[in-house]
Amino acid sequence: MKTAKPTNRRNFLLAAGLGGAGVAAAVVTGTRKPGREKIAAAEAQPSGYHVTEHIQKYYKTTEI
Amino acid sequence: MSAQVAVAPVAMQRMLPPEEAARGDFYALLAGLFVTSPSGALLANLAAAGPIDGESALARAWQGLVDASKAMDAEAAAFEYDELFAAVGKAPISMYAGYYLGAPAIDHPRVRLQADLAALGLARAGRVSEPEDHLGGLFEVMRVLVAGAPGRKPSPLAEQKRFYQAYLEQAAAAFFTALAAAPQANYYRHAAAVGAAFMALESQSFQLD
Repeated sequence: MKTAKPTNRRNFLLAAGLGGAGVAAAVVTGTRKPGREKIAAAEAQPSGYHVTEHIQKYYKTTEI
Repeated sequence: MSAQVAVAPVAMQRMLPPEEAARGDFYALLAGLFVTSPSGALLANLAAAGPIDGESALARAWQGLVDASKAMDAEAAAFEYDELFAAVGKAPISMYAGYYLGAPAIDHPRVRLQADLAALGLARAGRVSEPEDHLGGLFEVMRVLVAGAPGRKPSPLAEQKRFYQAYLEQAAAAFFTALAAAPQANYYRHAAAVGAAFMALESQSFQLD
């Protein structure tokens, strides 16, 4: 009778969420470049990320 | 009438199991975030990424990074990266494993790393000026060991484990802790959370074999 290969490590990793397609999709190089409107969108929908003073100052220096 | 068909040899690459492919992807992602600041393409793809199933620390950290990526662009990320890792004088956060390993000059991990990388058939690319113990480079090495590369098979798990425990486990954990606490960190707090959660999984999973 064939014995099953131990899969503890595999099961552990799969249970932790590794194996989904999210990361793979994220690291594939794309072409879309988010613009400044993304900042406003994030402020409208709080996500834990915040626009700091230094980022705002930086944007001021890039305004034409 | 008979047709002649030229048959080109096909190089078959064995598919990685999904969890191993995901490990390789995570290392690629960490390299993409820490070798240099993330490109606009990487940020956009992160912003569009789906969730990781479950309530694990990695799933929560991942969602934080995805949400933060929706609000970030490459220029702002580069600004933050420079403030954290490339400030004039002493950078607030060191990106070198040797720093976190309390490396003595006489037995600096870079010395062992150069020999270890050579034994693995790897070397720093000619255009790279950073020392071998740059954490971004170490993530990239792990990506190659886990997922392989064109013409190169993934390394055996024992080899991955040895490299990870020798150079990354302690240093990366300390690096991500320091980064998460850095007052200059904003977007990179989320990158640190993902890195710390993933490294914790790696450390635990290597104990299971």
